[in-house]
Amino acid sequence: MNALLLAFDLVLLAGLLGVAWSCLASTDLFRAVVLFITFGLLLALAWVRLQAPDIALAEAAIGAGITGALLLVTLERLRRIMAIHASGDVHAEPPDPTGPRAQQQALHDPPPARGTLAPALLAAAAVAALLIGALWQQPPALGLQPVVDAHMERSGVDHPVTAVLLNFRAYDTFLELAIVLVALLGAWSLSRHDELPARPTPGPVLPGALRLLVPVATVTGVYILWAGTHAPGGAFQAGAILGAAGILLALGRPQRLPMAPGAPLRLGITAGVAVFLAIGLYGLFAGPGLLGYPAAAAYPLIILIEIAATLSIALTLVALFIAGRPAEEDA
Amino acid sequence: MIADMLTVILILAGLVFFAAGTAGLLRFPDVYSRLHALTKADNVGLGLVVLGLMLQASGPADILKLLLIWVLVLAAGTTAAHLVAQRTWTHGEFESDR
Repeated sequence: MNALLLAFDLVLLAGLLGVAWSCLASTDLFRAVVLFITFGLLLALAWVRLQAPDIALAEAAIGAGITGALLLVTLERLRRIMAIHASGDVHAEPPDPTGPRAQQQALHDPPPARGTLAPALLAAAAVAALLIGALWQQPPALGLQPVVDAHMERSGVDHPVTAVLLNFRAYDTFLELAIVLVALLGAWSLSRHDELPARPTPGPVLPGALRLLVPVATVTGVYILWAGTHAPGGAFQAGAILGAAGILLALGRPQRLPMAPGAPLRLGITAGVAVFLAIGLYGLFAGPGLLGYPAAAAYPLIILIEIAATLSIALTLVALFIAGRPAEEDA
Repeated sequence: MIADMLTVILILAGLVFFAAGTAGLLRFPDVYSRLHALTKADNVGLGLVVLGLMLQASGPADILKLLLIWVLVLAAGTTAAHLVAQRTWTHGEFESDR
């Protein structure tokens, strides 16, 4: 059995390295994006093998799923921008990827210049040697598992990963939420409100599938959020699933997607950071310190933060995908 | 014991479908036949694997979860296959510029 598992791990490792290399070496950007998504799924498997199902969930949902969708939509927007640039017409459509002009318009990286291989290999070998040297000198560590286990009853939740993320290391999670918010503010500052570069799909199949999948995704997202207190799950994974449902809806009917009204959208997008900060400040004045919770109230406070964070993450991911700020401000 | 053997047989049968589907995906000449091969792997292959795993499940909740996974993959895979086929039908095959 162990030999089989070892063989599986070796195949997984070889697959990860192979896909990563093909992704980086590909000069066709569409191909690189598809390989990147594959890499994310394999990496999620690797996290499962390392017995870290929380990270596996996050990697599959955010690393492979949402990031893949964002990269694909970016590629399509780039095509559109290049078409406008080439023709000088603001309403120019990008050539169809299957059409005759697709060859000129395909997005390519320039092939690597000659004579770069030897320095690259040298640099890679040097970094690898440094990493191996650093690992060699690491003192054997037990990790933080015993420390976390010793303080679980003060955390307010039953799942050690959630206890670390939302209580013991709440700073990190708070800053992660803030970074997601800043990313969206950046995207809104840079982009105009233009429509999603997606072609409408005729026929009843996509709307029918959405009618089936979006409610299931919504229930799954809420379940993952609730499960986070005692099992793998939590705000980021739940937010990613709900965000994916939103992206599906946006893709399903690009022509008549009502834009969310500005004020509620803004409130929802900042809710995670705002609620987190408010509760953190409450902790500062109530005793335990900034971003600390009184042990008795930890569970409801963590749930409150998780709900707000899930809402914000989901809305932010959809907004990043659509990429335009609320339309009324461009008028 | 019988359940274990059935599990092994069902999962092996499922893997045969996956292998055949992968071979078809790599070898078949056009989008439609590749989709045909791929959806067999998704539908029947995963169905057999799920059926085999159900025999090892610890309770009805696990069995229902496995069933749900299969139904969701069926719905998503069918939709994706339809969209790829429809796009190919209206716009022609995607030429890889390798």
